[in-house]
Amino acid sequence: MGGLKEMIIKGGIVYDPANGIYGEEMDLFIDQGRMALQAKGEEIDARGLLVMPGGVDAHSHIAGKKVNTGRIMRPDDARQGTEPRSAVCRPSTGYTVPNCYAMGYRYARMGYTTAFEAATPILEARHTHEELEEIPIIDKGALTLFGSNWQVKECVRDKDLAKLAANVAWGLCAARGYGVKIVNPGGGEAWGFGANVKGVNDPVPNFDVTPAEIITGLAQANEMLNLPHSIHLHFNNLGKPGNYTTAIETLDLLKDIKPSRMRQVVHVAHMQFSAYGGTSWRDFESKAPVIADYFNCHNHATMDMGQLLFGSATTMTADAPLEYGNARLTHNKWSNHDIELEESSGVVPMTYFRKMLVNAVQWAIGLELALLVNDPWKVLMTTDHPNGSPFVNYPEVVTLLMSKPKRDLEMATLHEQLPKRTTLAGLERELDWTDIAIMTRAAPARVLGLADKGHLGPGADGDVSIYNLRPDEVDTSLDHALVKKALANAMYTIKGGVVVSKEGRILAAPPGRTFWVDATVPQADADRLMIDLEEKFAKYYSIQIANYAVQDAYLPHANVIRAGLSVPQEVA
Amino acid sequence: MRSITITPQKAFCISVEAENISPDKFAPLTLSQIKSLVVWQGNRQKTLSELFVVEGDDAPAKAEELTIRLIGDFSQVKRIGEGMTAGVVLAEESVGMHAGNNMLGGLLSISGSADDWLAREMRGGKVLVMGNAGNYVGSGYRGEKCGMRGGEIEVRGSAGAFLGEHLCGGSIRIAGDAGDFAGAANQGGTIFIGGSTYLPGAEMSKGTITVKGEAKVLPSFQKTEIVQIDGLAFQKYAGDLVDNGKGELLVGVGSS
Repeated sequence: MGGLKEMIIKGGIVYDPANGIYGEEMDLFIDQGRMALQAKGEEIDARGLLVMPGGVDAHSHIAGKKVNTGRIMRPDDARQGTEPRSAVCRPSTGYTVPNCYAMGYRYARMGYTTAFEAATPILEARHTHEELEEIPIIDKGALTLFGSNWQVKECVRDKDLAKLAANVAWGLCAARGYGVKIVNPGGGEAWGFGANVKGVNDPVPNFDVTPAEIITGLAQANEMLNLPHSIHLHFNNLGKPGNYTTAIETLDLLKDIKPSRMRQVVHVAHMQFSAYGGTSWRDFESKAPVIADYFNCHNHATMDMGQLLFGSATTMTADAPLEYGNARLTHNKWSNHDIELEESSGVVPMTYFRKMLVNAVQWAIGLELALLVNDPWKVLMTTDHPNGSPFVNYPEVVTLLMSKPKRDLEMATLHEQLPKRTTLAGLERELDWTDIAIMTRAAPARVLGLADKGHLGPGADGDVSIYNLRPDEVDTSLDHALVKKALANAMYTIKGGVVVSKEGRILAAPPGRTFWVDATVPQADADRLMIDLEEKFAKYYSIQIANYAVQDAYLPHANVIRAGLSVPQEVA
Repeated sequence: MRSITITPQKAFCISVEAENISPDKFAPLTLSQIKSLVVWQGNRQKTLSELFVVEGDDAPAKAEELTIRLIGDFSQVKRIGEGMTAGVVLAEESVGMHAGNNMLGGLLSISGSADDWLAREMRGGKVLVMGNAGNYVGSGYRGEKCGMRGGEIEVRGSAGAFLGEHLCGGSIRIAGDAGDFAGAANQGGTIFIGGSTYLPGAEMSKGTITVKGEAKVLPSFQKTEIVQIDGLAFQKYAGDLVDNGKGELLVGVGSS
């Protein structure tokens, strides 16, 4: 097996911020697919080159029914980015919604070795795992949707935290999911009646609960269960002008909850879409400074950028009312979907234009957030693939963050009103390789609670990316074109001790693992929960409870992480 | 003027994808380099000279000064002249699907017939077909919101169904009949049909469709006035009203 061989990476300039290594020349060793202190065997010459842990994407829509709906809706997208099969690779298609194989190859080419699917309803988790299994090379996981689930809302209404925790544990197990995702809590339910919730204190129809209660209840259950990841939250009112107040209000709800692990209490998904000021699209403006200030003053929250880039995108979310708005706004194709007792969702293709002021402001907000938050451990670099832009454009985002001249060049092509609506033009900060290594590697791994990812210490996964860039020589501010080119195709991507990609060519496509969390709860709580669930399945669900959970056969490369009430901190 | 002649070596059972047969691709290359351009037959990659006899002037020349002559049956050869910006492609017989798609300029002249998707998503230039054309002439490909945006297509024979679907600009002239749903979802282009068609202009929001012969008109079109064009009477309709459309449909008087 290739994965078991030994390897030495010689003389790279290593950025491993999780272990306090900030650009030191050193040798790295891989043995049995893991980082080691010593090894023999194949030597890779990385003298003077940029070396980082394999990239980790904590929020990306890469698998499941809505991704596939995007593919079905967009044959026009499928014909972009087609690549014929090769000796190693199966054929690739698509740009914003690539086929499964292309996802794996394209992440690997950029030096990424891990990506997490950000939203899966339990009922459709089987589909998600079928696709995840077909994504080669990278390690994966899927977050499970709980925010509009009937059983969750009933537990919250009854203030029965123990049963809620049992429900979360059962849901994660049924979906073979990794963490608790909450999307526009209560909104999915309201959308069933053509309505939406308008704020965290707006009651959810038919359930005597508010989004605020759902969020705090799930956050408490999450910490009771000692889950590796915190709650992963898509705010109410996302994508609407003036929604920054909802963001601050929601974050304030959670500031007194104690985390059960060394991590945040809440991770905010694609913050860019929730940092909007103004009262309508006419006076739309950035409130990124207010949001960034909040993150600078508080330590219970992290965010990912959700950076928007100009060009083609496909918006897909479990926030169905938002997608209805998008469809109305753009007169574009629209898919709307109801997921029984759990969620609703939607998909709308989108093009972002440079000359459209709203789009330009959105573009600037993502960058403002990343530049204004002082601590890079709190901001993950994402584009909320494929909502803001496809993940293949990450090198563009990195270069924008590293180069003020590049931002100035871009801004010169955008709507002239932009400097009045955002503060981006005045931001001088340019991130360095340490910041980038944190935002794309170390921080996503820590935020997700993946102990063996995002760093290069002994025992960590043997995931390393080597770029054809000399950090000692390249001026990242001026040579941004060179940086972008080098990041797009890593010189080497090593996954679990196997060279999977070299200078953009895929050399091996081994299957990746799928992480999921098995949390234990007291039997009595689980029994109480089952009485409720059996009634719901008998009365409302379209399928039997016995056929509901994803079987292990769907995860032939599973990696189970144990958590729960009786389990101390331990990551398998 | 540089001239290159291409002749199939035999009849193809499996169709050939030959987007490299284009003046822009040939222009900077010598004859031997042209011969080694890549084409796909099914899922097999081949060179141009493995499937075709390639002859002509060796010295590179600008695309504007290049004429490509296609001798023999090219009806199993797809994507001829894809994205061409200048120069001339002359086909002596019929060509396969997707000929002249995404074309930006120059002339694609076909003495025989063209298969489906002729000049889809064309932006400029001219396509002339002496015989018939298949379905989806000048339309957008699957899922695309915008088909042809500019340029000119002339078909001396008849055209198939969905002529100019999602048309955004440019003009299409068909001497004979057009199949069902000509000009569906027209957003600003001009279509003239010398013969007859069935249910033209469904979902059109802008643009003009003129049918000299007979046409079954959708009930979502509103009859307006009778106009005279070149001494002939046409009934004018506004529509398609299901989409609040501002398009014009003209049908020769005498049809329903």
